[in-house]
Amino acid sequence: MPSMVYKNKVRVRDKYRIVGFISSGTYGRVYKAVGWNGQTGDFAIKKFKPDKEGEVIQYTGISQSACREMALCSELSHPNVINLVEIILEDKCIFMVFEYAEHDLLQIIQHHTQPARHPIPASAIKSMLFQLLNGLLYLHRNWVLHRDLKPANIMVTSKGEVRIGDLGLARLFYKPLHSLFSGDKVVVTIWYRAPELLLGSKHYTPAVDLWAVGCIFAELLSLRPIFKGEEAKMDSKKTVPFQRNQVQKIVEVLGMPTKEKWPGLVHQPEFAQLQTVPYPRRDSGSAGPLGLDTWYWNTLRSANYQEGQPSGSPGQQGLDLLTSLLDYDPTKRMTAEEALHHPYFTANGEKVSANCFEGMTTQYPHRRVSQEDNDIRTASLPGTKKNGLPDDTLIGRPTKRLKE
Amino acid sequence: MAANYWASTQRLHWQFSRTELQDILQHLENEDPALTQQYPLLDRRLLSIFYNQQLVKLAKRMSIRQQALGTAQVYIRRFYTKVDVRNTNPYLILTTALYLACKMEESPQHIRVVVEHARSLWPDFIPSDVSRLGECEFYLISEMNSQLIIHHPYRTLQELQGRLDLVQDDVLVAWSIINDHYLTDLPLLFAPHVIAIAAIFLAMTLKQSSGGQQAAVNAAAYLTDSRQAIREGSSTVASNDNVPEKRIGSFVKWLAEGEVDLQAVADSMQEIISLYDVWDRYGEKTCKDQISHVVKARGLDK
Ligand SMILES: Nc1ncnc2c1ncn2[C@@H]1O[C@H](COP(=O)(O)OP(=O)(O)OP(=O)(O)O)[C@@H](O)[C@H]1O
Ligand SMILES: [Mg+2]
Repeated sequence: MPSMVYKNKVRVRDKYRIVGFISSGTYGRVYKAVGWNGQTGDFAIKKFKPDKEGEVIQYTGISQSACREMALCSELSHPNVINLVEIILEDKCIFMVFEYAEHDLLQIIQHHTQPARHPIPASAIKSMLFQLLNGLLYLHRNWVLHRDLKPANIMVTSKGEVRIGDLGLARLFYKPLHSLFSGDKVVVTIWYRAPELLLGSKHYTPAVDLWAVGCIFAELLSLRPIFKGEEAKMDSKKTVPFQRNQVQKIVEVLGMPTKEKWPGLVHQPEFAQLQTVPYPRRDSGSAGPLGLDTWYWNTLRSANYQEGQPSGSPGQQGLDLLTSLLDYDPTKRMTAEEALHHPYFTANGEKVSANCFEGMTTQYPHRRVSQEDNDIRTASLPGTKKNGLPDDTLIGRPTKRLKE
Repeated sequence: MAANYWASTQRLHWQFSRTELQDILQHLENEDPALTQQYPLLDRRLLSIFYNQQLVKLAKRMSIRQQALGTAQVYIRRFYTKVDVRNTNPYLILTTALYLACKMEESPQHIRVVVEHARSLWPDFIPSDVSRLGECEFYLISEMNSQLIIHHPYRTLQELQGRLDLVQDDVLVAWSIINDHYLTDLPLLFAPHVIAIAAIFLAMTLKQSSGGQQAAVNAAAYLTDSRQAIREGSSTVASNDNVPEKRIGSFVKWLAEGEVDLQAVADSMQEIISLYDVWDRYGEKTCKDQISHVVKARGLDK
């Protein structure tokens, strides 16, 4: 017997037939597949490719992000978290086989903007949000922070079940033996990034995920990101810039945070920077910040959310919940558990449906699956970085993830 | 689940009874009887000490935290329930385990740095090509079914420290006993909280009297007895002769009132005590020679 060589026991192509290509993400590509051996349902296979060094693909060490996702997905099991079927390591690549989800929230939102904007029914939003919070409560109870919640990462099955996906940035937060801020620097797509992170806080808590849920709730209502800032790029010295524009977008709606409402504010590393953010002052002849109430009622009016209308209305309770999720102070921000008990969900004693499409006639289009590249073995991988820097030393797509 | 030991893959897939573990290891040796015969190996417990000491050398060089070291130790132990040592290059396995553990414990090290350090310790056994370590990582993860989250006893120790008003001394000793338990099969046998409790109990009893070890043995026996006594409602356990100190008595009482498997705690204590006996017989050179011989003879270092 020669040297110690890794030989995989299960081969992807022996078990799954690739139907087409779905998406190219930060770490690899996602394919749609069906089982060869009568496994029920469809599958989404996420392929992590090693970094390329020269012509031949080499083992260069698995990225920390892939390690986390593999390890966490192997432990997790909840109806509102994407279900991992198996992991196959083959040909220097990692293949994570997931149950297939036909939709995601981004795709659903986009569908409602075309051809003309038409609102997502209030009851559907309620169910989506409830399921999302339910999955998040499970993650948080198990000390998992997701850290990258955004519409594209929230899958919905054809039966209307919400599944939190993309645990590539998730991590455990109990680890009492060392603080949480070692490792990667900035997390969460900028539009969904919590104010404490924008202000340089390094102690992130489950509250960062709830801010993102608030943003997603708002986006489901208005069909646009509520705080659509422009990302400041990292400079040549690789210092993490202050996201002035993003903060400004938040301030324009919510107003300036105050130390009365958020006592920890003055201790935020970027507190000084915050003072330089332009915002509409009430005194200088302007009407001042919009205010979340105004934003909310305007949104409801223009989307024609009304009791008695086909789309129904999220009502005053919806505003209450949204306000609690978008609380500046992370220590006061509503938790997943509190949110699930909010009157928005519990009033009238009715149960929130576990199928977010219940009672709907809308047929959402199927996920686009292209035939361009359905060879799962293909070596060329557009959109990935050229030079190998494993261990999260890579810098992700600039608008998305920044890693140390 | 991730932070819930009871629903974790650790409990569901990597916790064995002694006989199960015995069978698994026996089965590995039986897979290739000729190989097993050709390369007889020392007591597994001695080899464990050897691997561990090598691993500690590497970890020290790289200033790696104890928790990551513990994780690596568990990975190695799990891996060797799936693969016979004689088919591996243990130096590469343990280097890889440490590399992977660092990532999982949120203190990643660059693969090149890991290989450099490992090569400076074992130049004859670690290939300079980093892709060999990368390949070995696949091997390790695959054999462990991607189940990489490890629950350690340190957490229970920290939790109990406050709840039981443990004195700093006891905590420190218990901590180092937990460090030592990775040299035994205990991580594959019992839940982390059982280990933590055993470590606390040992820490309390070891420093009790001058005949520390004997005291610990007594304590283990006492623990098993007292379970019976407590079940029967006897409140006199705390004044048992073997364990004069009140603090220990109340600790036992606290234990018995809970759901903790006291037999398992006693077992764990015994295992750790016997580790210290085995350690006395340990000699690095014999282990090293044996391992080198297998690796070289079979070309596993290539
Ligand atoms: N289980 C699934 N079923 C169907 N499609 C999926 C599934 N998982 C992922 N996808 C699709 O693949 C895309 C990328 O997946 P994922 O978010 O897990 O990867 P990523 O590399 O982290 O990508 P990104 O950086 O874009 O977030 C998703 O946005 C979705 O369109
Ligand atoms: Mg994604």
